[in-house]
Amino acid sequence: MTFWNRRQLTMAAVALALGAYPAHAGAVLDRVTSAGTLKVATDANWAPQSFMNANNELDGFDVDVAKEIGKHLGVKVEFVTPGWDIITAGNWAGRWDMHVGSMTPTKKRAEIFDFPAVYYYTPAAVAVHKDSKAKTLADLDGKVVGATSTSTFEAYAKKELTLDAAGAPPFEYKLNPKEVHSYENSTTAFDDLRLGDGVRLDAVVSSLPSILDAVKAGYPIKQVGEPVFYEPLAIAIEHGDPELSAKIADAVKAMKADGTLSKLSEKWYGQDYSKTN
Amino acid sequence: MLYPDTVEAEVLVHKPWFVATMFGVGLYGRFAIGFAIAVIFTLNVVLIGFAPLKLQIGIVWLELLLLFIAFFETFHLSLPFIREKLPFLISQGVVTTLYVSAISIVIASVIAVAGAVAKLSSNGFAYAIASFYTSFFRGLPLLMQVYLIYLGLPQLGFVINAVPAGILALSLCYGAYMTEIFRSGIQSIDRGQWEASRSMGFGFALTMRRIILPQALPVIIPPTGNQFISMLKDSSLVSVIGVWELMFLARTLGQKTFQHMEMLISAAMIYWVLSICLELIQSRIERHYARSKVR
Repeated sequence: MTFWNRRQLTMAAVALALGAYPAHAGAVLDRVTSAGTLKVATDANWAPQSFMNANNELDGFDVDVAKEIGKHLGVKVEFVTPGWDIITAGNWAGRWDMHVGSMTPTKKRAEIFDFPAVYYYTPAAVAVHKDSKAKTLADLDGKVVGATSTSTFEAYAKKELTLDAAGAPPFEYKLNPKEVHSYENSTTAFDDLRLGDGVRLDAVVSSLPSILDAVKAGYPIKQVGEPVFYEPLAIAIEHGDPELSAKIADAVKAMKADGTLSKLSEKWYGQDYSKTN
Repeated sequence: MLYPDTVEAEVLVHKPWFVATMFGVGLYGRFAIGFAIAVIFTLNVVLIGFAPLKLQIGIVWLELLLLFIAFFETFHLSLPFIREKLPFLISQGVVTTLYVSAISIVIASVIAVAGAVAKLSSNGFAYAIASFYTSFFRGLPLLMQVYLIYLGLPQLGFVINAVPAGILALSLCYGAYMTEIFRSGIQSIDRGQWEASRSMGFGFALTMRRIILPQALPVIIPPTGNQFISMLKDSSLVSVIGVWELMFLARTLGQKTFQHMEMLISAAMIYWVLSICLELIQSRIERHYARSKVR
């Protein structure tokens, strides 16, 4: 029996004893380097961050960033696509090692996750039907607003948003909706908005890129007002592996320094979202 | 132009009689259209009434199908996109859906037989366990069971992947429903059959296998077929834990280009075709067990 096997056995024994999978220092990084693959969880339904492209493969900004990080760690990247609430529930139990899916680092999430690096900022904006008379966000007072459930957009609409990550730009609540409807993703919210001004929704809070994409695809909607907040978006890993955390932070720092992140952002958004401005 | 008449005259469309006629035709046009539709519809129904039964069924099916196609037509779907994505939808989505449901169906059937026997037994433990099981798994939404198994089991130290977790959830849930179906089927056999069999010296297992189950199966099969069909569709719930089955792909493939209606309708049609296959198999089996009733 080699040392490695014994160590794995001990881990399994500890796991059984504690009734949980332990994530002791370096465990995830050890697993990643020994397997040669980094398992990355991401969404398959969140264009242009991550989506299925014409060749039926995962593609997008988040996917490219994850692949770059894999390159820096010297391992292959493999994607898994569990639902968002499965990912945010924590307790990954080694099913995947890292999450690159535009997660906003909040204090509550920081209880479950480490956020090694913020890799870009998305402007969040409000969309209305193109027939809407609303000119400013104040015109939407007392209206019905839709947003993806458990997203920061929903939290903003409900005035429960806390952006407490390091370097998060300040913001204020400019939206006073009467009701907030929750949707599974932004597309279903846009689908309700397209039915007509005020038919089911008066406005949708979503990321500016996804609004612009919907407009490009012919949805009868438009942006109203300025972006309401800039959302820092970070890579998430589980607590307990500072070595992996440091490796990812280094990789992202290097990607920022050599312009890779800016280039990827330009490629997918047409703008450089890797810094706020 | 023909010979241009220089005589000053009122324009045709401004003559009072013409205007009145137009108005009249327009007013009656609506009634005329309604009348025509009513006549066609009635004729259709009356004529179908003359056809022999099999033809009747076929024609009504066809007409309902055409109505649905006309309904889908209103979505202005992009057929080239569907044709481009269909191979992947089938090679990845349908295959995954089919094998997840097929394995679950087999496991659920085994659980159901065991559960039914346990529920009918006079052993207190067996009855208690089986009735707790059916009550629990029939009482919880399947989606919640999927979450509980996928997120809950790792807490106990068992880390299972998405596909086995989905299969486990489907098997346990449908096993519970089918336990009740099997139990009621077995109970529907008259106790005289048991008594006669036992008096001939047959043991429990032999009675079950040779006397009771063959008579119970014709009762069990129709509701079981229902369960298989509904399991096929409920297997879409495992998409929440990231299994790339038919429903998952239907929701993701068209998303980037906002052509999700195309994918959703294609997936709907595929599910329907698969269900039709199951229906056909079910009616085959039913016919097999109805041999004794044929005159």
